[in-house]
Amino acid sequence: MVSRSFPQLLTCFNRTAVGSAGCRRFSITPPGRATPQSNTAVERVTSPWTLMAAVCLQRLPVITADCSPIEQRFKQMMQQMELEKSLLSDHELRLMEDAERMSRKQGNEYDSDEEEGHGDQEIMLAQDLEDTWEQRFKSFQPAPRVRADLDKDLTSVQRCLADSLVLLAEQQVGAEKLWLLPQAAWQEGETLRQTAERALCSVTAAGFKATFLGNAPCGVYKYKLPKAARTESSVGTKVFFFKAILADSAPGTAPNTALLWVKKSELQKYLKPAYMMKVDRFILSL
Amino acid sequence: MKQMVSATDTAYGTLNVKVSGYDMTVVEHYSQYIHNLCNRLGIQVAESYALPTKSTEVMLMQEQGNKMYVDAVLKTHERVVQLSSLNTSLCPIFVDVLLKNQPEGVQLLVKEHTEADFQTRFKARPELEGLIAQINQ
Repeated sequence: MVSRSFPQLLTCFNRTAVGSAGCRRFSITPPGRATPQSNTAVERVTSPWTLMAAVCLQRLPVITADCSPIEQRFKQMMQQMELEKSLLSDHELRLMEDAERMSRKQGNEYDSDEEEGHGDQEIMLAQDLEDTWEQRFKSFQPAPRVRADLDKDLTSVQRCLADSLVLLAEQQVGAEKLWLLPQAAWQEGETLRQTAERALCSVTAAGFKATFLGNAPCGVYKYKLPKAARTESSVGTKVFFFKAILADSAPGTAPNTALLWVKKSELQKYLKPAYMMKVDRFILSL
Repeated sequence: MKQMVSATDTAYGTLNVKVSGYDMTVVEHYSQYIHNLCNRLGIQVAESYALPTKSTEVMLMQEQGNKMYVDAVLKTHERVVQLSSLNTSLCPIFVDVLLKNQPEGVQLLVKEHTEADFQTRFKARPELEGLIAQINQ
């Protein structure tokens, strides 16, 4: 897997998001990082924003999506063209040879000594092989692609196997309970990514295995507290989002928080509009 | 061999994106897609090569008897797209797009490039190894 050998700091970097308008500028200066050889006291750079990290945990699609009508027609046409342009395979050649040999056997002038050494092929004809394969195929039962009951159950991770799902948790923010991507407050001495990992662990059961895609956040959302709650040291909160992919989900009981697995189209029903706008930008609906 | 780029603070070093599967057309098309995506995103592609095909024989026990017979021969094809440096800020997006577009039946593996990986591309030379063994004896 990709190596993860980075220093704790994310240095200031500019990045133009490909395909979307505008630059994003990140600048994170964690306060109170003491220099080793300091005689003078280090000035603590305290910003009035509280930092939080959230994790955007995605479950990738398990099966391919169904083709639209045009795609189906095109697929059939391409398959027909390829079939017509293709050459006969070994198995089909054998079928033809066997049929020919059969017809020669029925005929009067048949001399088995004249046949070349195809001894074992006479025992097991290609047609017989095809019949055994046909039998085995009939006895195979594939699992159903779409299960309507599971699709409706929003808490199940097996729903909507053809789409990618995002995990939402109901967390206490300030005075109210909101649906949002699982988040946790940043603490001194840890990277934002570790904060995101902690957020995931606190919200899900112990057996969840998620692979984080990198140390760089993929989005940010900031909000200012209402004027009444603002103080000198806290003007608002900045939430940084990290992407992760679900590797393994344990069917364990979730602790206190309620969890939902939603598709991108269903996110709007649960998230606040301003939050939704920022989150919408980095969730790919492919 | 080409110089291996080492990782810096803001970029990964030489990375190998390995695409493997049983269906050759799908594997090749997916590796072409990755190569084109890197070109469009401005990621430097050092090399794009294929590893030798590996054949796997699936043997089944006969219903009556102890003999195993060959049921099928599966061929595993592997294609590698080597990236010389990947910006860490671009990495999550790039990997996310790759994973979301991964076709069925294809395995994707992203790992660092090592000397050993480079050596697996060469064929073994038995006469040379025999001579070397003779010299060493």
